[in-house]
Amino acid sequence: MERFELRRQDFRLDEDQQAVREGFGDFFTKQVPSSLVRDAEPLGFDADLWQRVVAMGATSMALPEAVGGDDATLVDLVLVAEELGRVVAPVPLISHVVASRLLARVGGADELVAAAAEGERIVTLALQPVVGTNRQLVPDAAVARDVLAWTDEGLVLHTLAEPAAHVPNQGSTPLAWFDPAAGERTVLATGPEAAAACRAAYAEWKLLTAAALVGIAQSALDLGVEFAKTRRTLGVAIGSLQGVAFPLADVVTEIAGARNLVQKAAWYATHEPASRPELPLAAFVHAAHAATEAAWVSAHTQGGLGFTVEADISLFFLRAKGWSVLGGDPGQDRRQVAAALLATV
Amino acid sequence: MDFGTVELTPEQETFQKEVRALFDEIVTEEVHEHERRTGDGFNEAVHLALGSRGWLFPEWPVEDGGAALDRVSQRILALEIARYRVPTVTMGTTRLVWAAVELSCDPELTARLKPEVAAGRVRFCLGYSDPEGGSDIAGATLRAVRDGDEWVLNGSKLWTTGAHNCQYTFLITRTDPEAPKHKGLTMFLVPLDSPGVEIQAIRTYGGERTNAVYYTDVHVSDSHRMGDVNAGWATLQGPLSAEHGAGRPDDGLSDIAMTMGTREFEAALDAAARWAKRTTRPDGTLVADDPAFLDRLGKLVVDTEASWVTPGPMGRNKSSLSYIDGIAELVDLVGPEALLAHGADGAIEDGVIDFAHRFAQGTATYGGTTEVFKGMIAQHVLGLPRLTLPGSKQWVR
Repeated sequence: MERFELRRQDFRLDEDQQAVREGFGDFFTKQVPSSLVRDAEPLGFDADLWQRVVAMGATSMALPEAVGGDDATLVDLVLVAEELGRVVAPVPLISHVVASRLLARVGGADELVAAAAEGERIVTLALQPVVGTNRQLVPDAAVARDVLAWTDEGLVLHTLAEPAAHVPNQGSTPLAWFDPAAGERTVLATGPEAAAACRAAYAEWKLLTAAALVGIAQSALDLGVEFAKTRRTLGVAIGSLQGVAFPLADVVTEIAGARNLVQKAAWYATHEPASRPELPLAAFVHAAHAATEAAWVSAHTQGGLGFTVEADISLFFLRAKGWSVLGGDPGQDRRQVAAALLATV
Repeated sequence: MDFGTVELTPEQETFQKEVRALFDEIVTEEVHEHERRTGDGFNEAVHLALGSRGWLFPEWPVEDGGAALDRVSQRILALEIARYRVPTVTMGTTRLVWAAVELSCDPELTARLKPEVAAGRVRFCLGYSDPEGGSDIAGATLRAVRDGDEWVLNGSKLWTTGAHNCQYTFLITRTDPEAPKHKGLTMFLVPLDSPGVEIQAIRTYGGERTNAVYYTDVHVSDSHRMGDVNAGWATLQGPLSAEHGAGRPDDGLSDIAMTMGTREFEAALDAAARWAKRTTRPDGTLVADDPAFLDRLGKLVVDTEASWVTPGPMGRNKSSLSYIDGIAELVDLVGPEALLAHGADGAIEDGVIDFAHRFAQGTATYGGTTEVFKGMIAQHVLGLPRLTLPGSKQWVR
């Protein structure tokens, strides 16, 4: 790998990007109190909130202008996804946006893309290629009638009469089993180009989920830090004790790196997708780890209270793993990251 | 946001070629051999060659001994220095101290030193840590006592890396033992050829040489005092905050992390990756095809990617701590071959993994330990309350 290439390392957001971050940050903070998250359990879907998210333009912004979108980039989307993660908003935005973008890219389902852009139909995608008749768990399939999957025949759109049955899960996500034989099947695209588009979609899903995990990690950390500032022991705030403070310092370090790695990966995926195709996977690996560590450290900082359902940290703890695991074992991503290095040395 | 390549002007392209041509010529195998042997982090011939072109302070005007390089050209130079593994430790301490010299030194002395420093003939090292003090440099015990127009120094410093190749040390001394800890300190620029200065080598298993420096009745002129008497902490803060990564132009042409050892770690990772592609297991399978190997290697690659983008002082900890963890894992992945020494039969790429494993260990200590940084991160990034200890404000011996 060219380790000494002259490139900029500029993480500054431009005005539009800042507006996206602030706009969606305000929106999610105001619209999604923790009580709403709790009320949406166990399905993890709030239909009213979904309508408001659609009205914010989140479902259409990153589609091509030709199909009614605003040509927003993955950089914009990771900013939105981080804000979504900060409040663990019970909406299937990530799968829906990634599946919509894949649909728009391969073409042939204009009506569905238009309906998806308006949020009228929810679309998701199977993150593993279909093997034979094996069923697989698909994120958000409990609220989506339209499921994209890669099969021996190519990229197939499965349209079901009803979304599949919800399977209760630790992260309270709208997870469901996807049966490759179910629904009306339409082959949308075949060949290596379609396969590449599908792989890019998997990477996009991991990148946006990584961004959401950064948001989860940040909120988890904030709860732990606030507790450490106010809770006292032996006459001092526990946050002044190194045994409490240092793990929190390690966590903010992991989060800051994960956030920047997500944004850097988003920039590459937008502007030079062929240069560093492994970066979204690296970002996912790092963010998944950061979220797991942040949630555990923050919960533990709060002692027994952090282990109670009543404490809001529980919402973030259960989703840090409950959301990241939907992308499968990060080990497969680590192998791809290593393979990318081997290919360049 | 921008991670794009930088389009070079014809002048910048010429400059890049010039730098590479010079380094091809002067950064020889002999230079690397010298560095392996001495661990100096310094090579006089290379240092003077850089100085003669104004490249030690490339941003300075030409008339001051710099090269008036634009930001892109400065970045070109920095990247080529890293690529060619130019020894830079003394270069770094000299630049750091210069910032304080310009702020706090006697103007006459400053004017006299400037061309010498730019040319590379005068170099500075850091006289910060007392033997008992470590990273708590405000706890300095080395005494400076006024004697007319002079000061008399008695005490010792550890970790004065490069002292044997430098002309001056940026020395922190205790001038008022009765004052609160931070208010009894004074800084001096002490000539290292002064009678009573004794420099003793200390070797690290990271391959570096550092020094203990003993000061016995060392007389130093008051004109070498930097800043006001007992205001040493303020004098020191400028360059220290530069060392901790503050004050860089915000144009995307600097590293955002203050990485420690990431280049060395990456060199080892690259070597291990090449090794994996040419090495078979006893059962005839290629290491590069082993999913368990790839999984574990991938984790280390992710850590280096994260190290580069973890901002400022947090990047200092991320890079160092993940390097120490990761290089130990990399040694396991490769096996005994990984630790064969430079020149040994079968050593991987001149022993680059062996070196990286040893070198990693110091990165968590110098420049302030990772624990010092965790304290800073807890206080300044998270806003957690400061831990008050008996020696926080008072000088406790």
